[in-house]
Amino acid sequence: MASVAKTTVAEFPRAVLARGEGRVFSAGDQVRVSVRFPVGHYRVPRYIRGKRGTVEAVIEPRVVNNEEEGYGRNAGDKQHYYRIAIPLTELWPGYAGSRKDGLRIEVHESWLERS
Amino acid sequence: MSAHMHDEGYGTTVGRGDYTPGYYEIMERSIAELLVEKGRISADDIRRQIEVLDSRNPALGARVVARAWVDPEFRARLLANGRAACEELGITSYEDTELIVLENTERVHNLMVCTLCSCYPRAVMGLPPDWYKLKPYRARAVKEPRAVLAEFGTIIPEDVEVRVSDATAHVRFLVLPRRPAGTESFTEEQLAALVTRDAMIGVTTIKSPVSAGGSTR
Amino acid sequence: MKANNNLVDWLPNDLGGVESDRFQRVDHEMLPWEKRCHALADVLDQHKIVSTEEKRRAVEALGSDLIGKLSYYERWAVGFATLLFAKGVISPGELARKMAEVASRFEPEAS
Repeated sequence: MASVAKTTVAEFPRAVLARGEGRVFSAGDQVRVSVRFPVGHYRVPRYIRGKRGTVEAVIEPRVVNNEEEGYGRNAGDKQHYYRIAIPLTELWPGYAGSRKDGLRIEVHESWLERS
Repeated sequence: MSAHMHDEGYGTTVGRGDYTPGYYEIMERSIAELLVEKGRISADDIRRQIEVLDSRNPALGARVVARAWVDPEFRARLLANGRAACEELGITSYEDTELIVLENTERVHNLMVCTLCSCYPRAVMGLPPDWYKLKPYRARAVKEPRAVLAEFGTIIPEDVEVRVSDATAHVRFLVLPRRPAGTESFTEEQLAALVTRDAMIGVTTIKSPVSAGGSTR
Repeated sequence: MKANNNLVDWLPNDLGGVESDRFQRVDHEMLPWEKRCHALADVLDQHKIVSTEEKRRAVEALGSDLIGKLSYYERWAVGFATLLFAKGVISPGELARKMAEVASRFEPEAS
C-alpha cells in the first residue's frame, strides 16, 4: 500500500511559489543557531544558541512558529522547521563521551543563519 | 451536607467517605464543570478523551517495531514518513504532530528527550514515565547521554554514535530498536512482546531472548 | 549593578545541560484526577479553546518557585485557570465560587 505522503507546493518543481514559501535552507547546509535572549515563551534552548551544525532534514509542511502559538497566535506567517545535527563536542567543552556523539533538534527558520 | 454518591460525569464517582480531593483537583474539576456549564465542552468529550488516553500504550509502538523488523518495505516507509506508516497499522496520530522514527543500527544508537517540557510520542506509546519529565533526565540526556544510558544498564561502544533527539516542536520520535539475535523464527506477535517502552525511548536495547539453555521463553 | 537577567530570559523549564540531581528512575501510577486533567488539556486543544503551546507558556509563566513546588498536573490546573481568565472564558470569581461548591461536596456530614 502506498504511503500517504504530504504534498506541498515545494514538491512541484515548476510551481510558482508565493513570497516566502520556498525553503530557505536545504539538507546539508551549514547553519548557526542565532544568539538572542527573548523574554517570555521561547522554544530554542539556551544550550544550542550560537552553536554550529548541519541541516539534516527540512520538516514539511511550513507551520506557525510555536513561540507565537504560545501566545494564541495560530495564524500568520508559516515557515519551516529544520532538523539540525550538532556534535556534542560542539555543545559541551570537554565532552567526555565519544567524538561521534551528536544532537538532533528541530529549530525554526527564524532562529537559523547560514554559517 | 453529606458526601453522597454521584457520578462526576467523567467516569469516576465520589462519595467514598474518606476521600478528600486536594486543592488542585478541586480546581481541575471546577474548571471542567464551568466549561461544560458554559457549553464550551461536554462531559462526554472528557470521558471520550480518557478512553483515548487509556487506549494509547507502548503495545502500539511495539507492533510498529515488530512489523518493521519483519517487513523491510514497511520499514523503509516507516523511516520515510512515520505518521503515515503508523496509519497503515490503524494507529492515528494526534493532530498537528509528525513522527520521525529513529533507526538504531550497528553505527548509531538513538535516544529521545524533551529538555523544555515532556513531549513524547503519546500516540504510539501512551503517557511518559515520571523520570522522563523530571529535571535530571532532561538536563543530562543532552549533555552526558552515555552516563544516563549507564543508569539503565545500557553501555554503547565508543565507536557507535549516541544520537540524542531533543523534541522542541511538533515532531515526535520513536526509536526503532535493533532486532535481537535468536529471533529469526519468532512470529510478529512474539517479536512485539519483546519490545519495551524503554527500548522505544532509546534508554535500553532489547537483549536476545535465547538463554544459554536454548529456550526461547 | 548585579545582572539578574537570567531570572527573566532563562526559562525555568529550559533544562538542557544544567546542574541537576542524580538521575533516578522514578514513576508513579497516575491518579484519576491527573488523567482527567490530561484529558481536559487535550479537549481544550481539540476545541481550540486553549492550545497545547499556550498551556506550555502558561506553565512557564508560573515562575520557578511555583514550578518547583507544584506537581506536574497541579501546574497544568493553575495554567488553565490563568489562560481561561485571560481569554475571558471564565472569571476568577466564577472559579472561586465553583471551587467552594465542589469542595463542599466533600465536607463530612455535620454531627
